Amino acid sequence: MKKLTTVMLAAAMLGATMVGCSNGGDKESSGGNGGSTPSVGVAIYKFDDTFMTGVRNSIEKNADGIAKVDVVDSQNSQPTQNDKIDLFLTKKTNALIVNPVDRTAAGVIIDKAQAKDTPVVFLNREPLPEDMKKWDKVYYVGAKAEESGTLSGQIVVDYWKANPEADKNGDGVLQYVMLKGEPGHQDAELRTQYSIQAIEEAGIKVEKVAEDTAMWDRVKGQEKMAAFLAANGDKIEAVLANNDDMALGAIEALKAAGYFTGDKYMPVVGVDATAPALQALEQGTMLGTVLNDAENQGKAAVTLASLLAKGEAISKDSVGFEITDNQYVWIPYQKVTKDNAADFK
Amino acid sequence: MNTKKLQSFVSENAIYIVLAVLLVGIAVYEPSFIGLNTLRDILIQSSTRVIIALGVAFILITGGTDLSAGRMVGLTAVVSASMLQEVDYARRFFPNLPELPMFIPVLIAIAVGLLFGLINGVIVAKFKVPPFIATLGTMVAIYGINSLYFDTDPNQSQPIGGLRGDFTNLLGSGSIGKGDFSIPYIVIIAIVVCAIVWVMFNKTRLGKNMYAIGGNEQAAKVSGINVSKNLILIYSIAGALYGLAGVMEAARTGGATNNYGNMYELDAIAACVVGGVSTTGGIGTVPGIMAGVLIFTVINYGLTFVGVGPYWQQIIKGAIIVAAVAFDMRKYASKK
Repeated sequence: MKKLTTVMLAAAMLGATMVGCSNGGDKESSGGNGGSTPSVGVAIYKFDDTFMTGVRNSIEKNADGIAKVDVVDSQNSQPTQNDKIDLFLTKKTNALIVNPVDRTAAGVIIDKAQAKDTPVVFLNREPLPEDMKKWDKVYYVGAKAEESGTLSGQIVVDYWKANPEADKNGDGVLQYVMLKGEPGHQDAELRTQYSIQAIEEAGIKVEKVAEDTAMWDRVKGQEKMAAFLAANGDKIEAVLANNDDMALGAIEALKAAGYFTGDKYMPVVGVDATAPALQALEQGTMLGTVLNDAENQGKAAVTLASLLAKGEAISKDSVGFEITDNQYVWIPYQKVTKDNAADFK
Repeated sequence: MNTKKLQSFVSENAIYIVLAVLLVGIAVYEPSFIGLNTLRDILIQSSTRVIIALGVAFILITGGTDLSAGRMVGLTAVVSASMLQEVDYARRFFPNLPELPMFIPVLIAIAVGLLFGLINGVIVAKFKVPPFIATLGTMVAIYGINSLYFDTDPNQSQPIGGLRGDFTNLLGSGSIGKGDFSIPYIVIIAIVVCAIVWVMFNKTRLGKNMYAIGGNEQAAKVSGINVSKNLILIYSIAGALYGLAGVMEAARTGGATNNYGNMYELDAIAACVVGGVSTTGGIGTVPGIMAGVLIFTVINYGLTFVGVGPYWQQIIKGAIIVAAVAFDMRKYASKK
């Protein structure tokens, strides 16, 4: 009986392994169409991040015909990501696309890749400049985070100027709350800073009612917003969130507090223009968001990686995107409001 | 007679058979898996995990559990990294800290791990808080302490980078020898730790007491074992092991954040139970734990190697954990 159990256990596992294998095999065969297609290892910081899932999908879509991509989940852990990169290098992958968990870890990754002469394209989290300078086969594809902050601030400015009743207490000062992403995340810090700077530069006085981190997370965004409302109530005149997930969470909390019914309104802005955010724009619950262009980030990264793997020249013509300082591809942000939301679906 | 022998052989060695089946299965599917490079990768990736698993095993064998292991790894990774940055690095945690001999920050980090292990031990042994609850509490609190430290001026929650080359080399990426036949330092460290823990388990009074406490705490007490003293010592040793693992994680990745080590305790507990450590206490061997850790690394590494999607990997991992414990329970029940 014991033996039977063991044999069944082993058989079940082997079976599971093989099922999984055939699954992986299918993916590979759909990715490339010839023996000469270079292999590209892609390490995403975590798979359950909405924005990075968009980038990941774009990488897989745009890889068709130019690269055989193998996409892995770093599970929001830098040690895990390093393990995956070691694996790619051992497998002699032709190029890497790395979306670092922790931007300071890029130095170690570049050293590993350079030792195996495998070019690296960093994605979405910018390595430190001194690390980028280590090797010329290192590229960065991403957006300028400050631009997303500036644009979201401008959306609030446009609303404030067009709607005098937005100044609920009539003191001429914009009372706002800020939902920040993960503390220390470059995007979180810059979006926070530049969104407020854009409002101030438009000549509007601001007062920060509350600011807290909601870790990019919708549930936490809802919880924090509920707490802000409980503490400050009607004093809040605008909600700025570092991303859409948190903005959507805040909207849920606002709905629970009776907003968006009758004339009780609150301008809420996010960043990313995710599908749920576009829906919220059309429903009128979200004022605006900023598109962090997942499609073009993924496309630029995989095109670049494919060219580097084949050893071809990198230029604006070959990549299809402007190359700045020989190593950077900046993908611009776009403002999205109810008026143009349909264009981004 | 032969069937009986085979039966007992299979039952005693189930874990090693599963490991072999996995390896052979992957190698058959993807022959390029066979090689010194992949072996080295698997051993490197198992190094810190086995050290954490051994720490957790000490506690599991006493009949306890430790949920704070992962957060202790995170704390000690941050503590060691904060004191081991290059002197000319732009964003130093301690801007005016001179270059310390490497062993000082390493020992401080291990001592921090030991201290929190000691706290766990005291809470469990002296205040009689069930280990699950005690370490759940410290798990949450240690993350808070780590985040507080990580957020101090001038670091303010920035990832700690720019670690010294001698540190990342010795406890991270460096190795003895060159090319295919090189042995990474961290693998050697892990093997030495395994050997030391094996001696502790099998040749010391502490080890015998540990098994006795886990087997039957009342009986251990009656037979004259100072249970609280032994428990406090065991939790402290486990903490020190997490400390060492934290230092190695920082070195291996060349940095640290307060999120390091998140959920590692669950990986470690899973590796232990798959490796034959009984969740009811009193049973567990060092080779079994090593095999348990290797099984999970082989799943992580091998299945990624052959291109199995991450979701499938999760399903397979989960199935193996449940199957291993179900099997363990059968063995246990049949002995009774």
